[in-house]
Amino acid sequence: MTLPIAIKSGSTAHQLTRVAAIAAIAAVVYNFYLNGKPSTLGSLTEACILATTAVALNLLLGFNGQISIGHSAFVGLGGFASGYAVNQLHWNPYASFLLAVILCFVIGLVLGLPALRLKGPYLALVTLAVAFVFPTIAGKFLDRKLKRATKINGLRLKPPTWTGLKPTRTDTAVFIYLLAVVLLVVAYVIVRNLRTSRIGRSLVAVRDNETAAAVMGVNLRFTKTITFGVSAAIAGAAGWVSAAYFSTMTVASFTVRDSIVYLLALFLGGAATLTGPIVGAFVYYFLNKYLLDHAKNWTWLPGPLAGGPVAPFLLGVLVISFVFVAPFGLVGFVKAQGRRFFVIAPRPLELAATTPQLVEHSTAAADET
Amino acid sequence: MTDFLQYVINGLAKGSVYSLLALGLVVIYRGTGHLNFAQGEMALFATFGTLWMYSQGLQLWAALIITALLSFLGGGVIEFGLMRPAGKKSPLAVVVVAIGLFQGLNALSGLVYKGSADGLHFPSLFPNGTNDFYRIGGTCKGSVCTGGVVWRYQDIGTLVTVLVLTALLFLLFQKTKVGLAMRMVANNPDSAKLVGVSTNRILMMSWGLSSAVGVVGGTVFAGITANINLFLMFQVFLLASAAATLGGLDSPGGAVIGGLSLGVVESLVENYPKHWWFGDYIGQSTAIAVAFVIILAVLLVKPSGLFGSSRVERV
Amino acid sequence: MTALLEVEGLVAGYGQVSVLQGLDLHVNEGEVAVILGANGAGKTTTMRAISGMIQRKGNVTFQGQSIVRTAPNDIVRLGIAQVPQGRGTFTDLSVADNLRAGAFTRKGDVDADIQEWYGVFPRLRERRDQKAGSLSGGEQQMLAIARALMSRPKLLLCDEPSLGLAPIITQELFQVLGRLNAERGLSILVVEQNANLAVQIAHSVFVLETGSIVASGTAAEIAADDAVRKAYLGY
Repeated sequence: MTLPIAIKSGSTAHQLTRVAAIAAIAAVVYNFYLNGKPSTLGSLTEACILATTAVALNLLLGFNGQISIGHSAFVGLGGFASGYAVNQLHWNPYASFLLAVILCFVIGLVLGLPALRLKGPYLALVTLAVAFVFPTIAGKFLDRKLKRATKINGLRLKPPTWTGLKPTRTDTAVFIYLLAVVLLVVAYVIVRNLRTSRIGRSLVAVRDNETAAAVMGVNLRFTKTITFGVSAAIAGAAGWVSAAYFSTMTVASFTVRDSIVYLLALFLGGAATLTGPIVGAFVYYFLNKYLLDHAKNWTWLPGPLAGGPVAPFLLGVLVISFVFVAPFGLVGFVKAQGRRFFVIAPRPLELAATTPQLVEHSTAAADET
Repeated sequence: MTDFLQYVINGLAKGSVYSLLALGLVVIYRGTGHLNFAQGEMALFATFGTLWMYSQGLQLWAALIITALLSFLGGGVIEFGLMRPAGKKSPLAVVVVAIGLFQGLNALSGLVYKGSADGLHFPSLFPNGTNDFYRIGGTCKGSVCTGGVVWRYQDIGTLVTVLVLTALLFLLFQKTKVGLAMRMVANNPDSAKLVGVSTNRILMMSWGLSSAVGVVGGTVFAGITANINLFLMFQVFLLASAAATLGGLDSPGGAVIGGLSLGVVESLVENYPKHWWFGDYIGQSTAIAVAFVIILAVLLVKPSGLFGSSRVERV
Repeated sequence: MTALLEVEGLVAGYGQVSVLQGLDLHVNEGEVAVILGANGAGKTTTMRAISGMIQRKGNVTFQGQSIVRTAPNDIVRLGIAQVPQGRGTFTDLSVADNLRAGAFTRKGDVDADIQEWYGVFPRLRERRDQKAGSLSGGEQQMLAIARALMSRPKLLLCDEPSLGLAPIITQELFQVLGRLNAERGLSILVVEQNANLAVQIAHSVFVLETGSIVASGTAAEIAADDAVRKAYLGY
């Protein structure tokens, strides 16, 4: 048997691997649904929120080549808007989901328009500024409207009766966990469909060479602006889940540092792959948690590193080393290794009925007559 | 009117710091086409170093000069060891490394320099006691003077530092062979190679120069705020980037003008609207927001900044 | 007599794509050699490979010394200067600075050389403080040549110098190159697409097709070859 084994795209074998993957993931999710403790479920929920945001970021960065260091503002906006609507304006919590998504979509469109004129570093700076300024503006807003400086309550969701869950602590945690997972899956599906659609392919064209893409007739303006909007909307949705998960949120919950974490998680998993952000987010989240709990006991660390908060340092170093060791992230690395064994062979092209005949050139003077 | 002048003068001090860091950013951008996101944190780490040396008994100025030299070397090492290999991979790789450096260096500062998380006192390079200022105008009754505009020695010193550094950089770029080589690499790296320039060495020097300028900015800023903590440079970096963007990322002169203007605008926005109806919405961070709105407006009209040169791309 | 520049079995390309598949050519001292080739044949790749700008394999010897592993800035120091495709002038720098840039590898005073080249190209003197980017195509080409010559090279490489220039400017250009060779004994390797004028000043001609030399000889021999004439000289 020669490696790599080629599996034809669309064949039964291919479909089976897809079904198997989905079944495996579903099994894992179900397992936690049945047996999860609130603390584990909480961690998983937080990881899902991070993953959703990374997926949103990936849409922008991986496919459009646009870097945003400002997504913490969208997540925060989604969270704060939901929290405020539900607690002060007495909205239905699920209606506030629509609020979060639509509000962020619109603001994303608004930001996407000037983003058209801005290239790489300039756009990154503007998004950085947005993320930097958001906590202050949110703080001032809360200050005025609530006479309280920095806190806003979460959604305080209780599981609806049709789910069969009771309003206990465990069941609520389960419910919110399921919400987070469902949202993550929906975000993934949206991005995946966008990616394989005509819009998606033009997105990749835009990323690779803007001038060429424009010359080829891709409507840059529309594509880029919509992408920004959708990306912001997904982040806003993640914000809504945050509001559902956290009992209170402060202005310090959504800062630039969070934006940086989203990016690091994305790069860890692999930008421009579909599953990269999800894998990266989960790995980042749990690795960070582990380091926070245990790294201070690592006495074997050199000099000043020992006994201190090394988690952010180690994670920074990890991401930098990934640039060289696994430039396409964990997912890219695994895929590359996997390609040594299995390859998905693309479907053969169907040629048109009439193929133009190639004209043969001869270098000698054979065509004298 | 004197209020206005006072705000302008106060603004020039902070603006000087933005200019310094903006210069560092511009030096790297011209040479490499990349924005160094880790600039602020590199300066922070080095500035902590200055403080440490001072605490060991060195004069602050001496400590700064030593740290500047070490930063020069350090910047070169970072270019050689991290940014160059990353650049060979892809432009995105460079951004990822910069962001990783940002987080890593900040965390490293927190680990290596104990007490940095809470903030440490930082001395000033210039006399900054309560009586160290120069009064312009005003009236004096005997030996007691009031009114007019007050210009603190510290602020004058900061401004002078920026102007001196800018002049030195100008001389470097225009009058020396190294400076010519840097301009060559910034404009056309391939042609630079074809006339015999070692572009690698020039890039290392650009990073080194940028880091050295950065630590001067950091030390001056920490002196002004009399405090150094892990969050110190972040806002400065943001505003320095804004200044560099405003001036045009490849124009050193633009960086200085951008930085000073931004400082003045920030000062005005912080102080004036107090008297207006939406006064309580305006504060320090919102001043940054206003700054960015201005920059955004400039960029929309002139995408390469006020003094930058637009690059023509061949498809 | 060994040639000034000997190229044997040169393989070079970009990434996975190998453009040159084993190229052989040589340039004798004091002579003008011309490489003819259509678009995509590998002309610029050849030039970049000789100057060390891209990865290459094979034998490239200059004055008996192998330069196939030498860095581009060191190749300049050995005495090879290139006028790249598209001129490659430092557009943000003044004309004078461009010339100074050309003398980067030389120590000591270069003003005498600058004045000399102003003499050969008087239009450059007129525009000496202007940014190079504001010059016309023909002027930039002259500037690029002068810049290359500031390093006092033994071998001048010219990559499609006539590209984008009006015919009358191209004529002037090749007259200058011809004079530089005749009067100063400068060895020149020129790469051109449609190269009537180039062949007129050439001693030897190489025909490059998809990565290797398919015909070579003296200018007279190549001009007598019907197929080559039709394909590259246009008649």
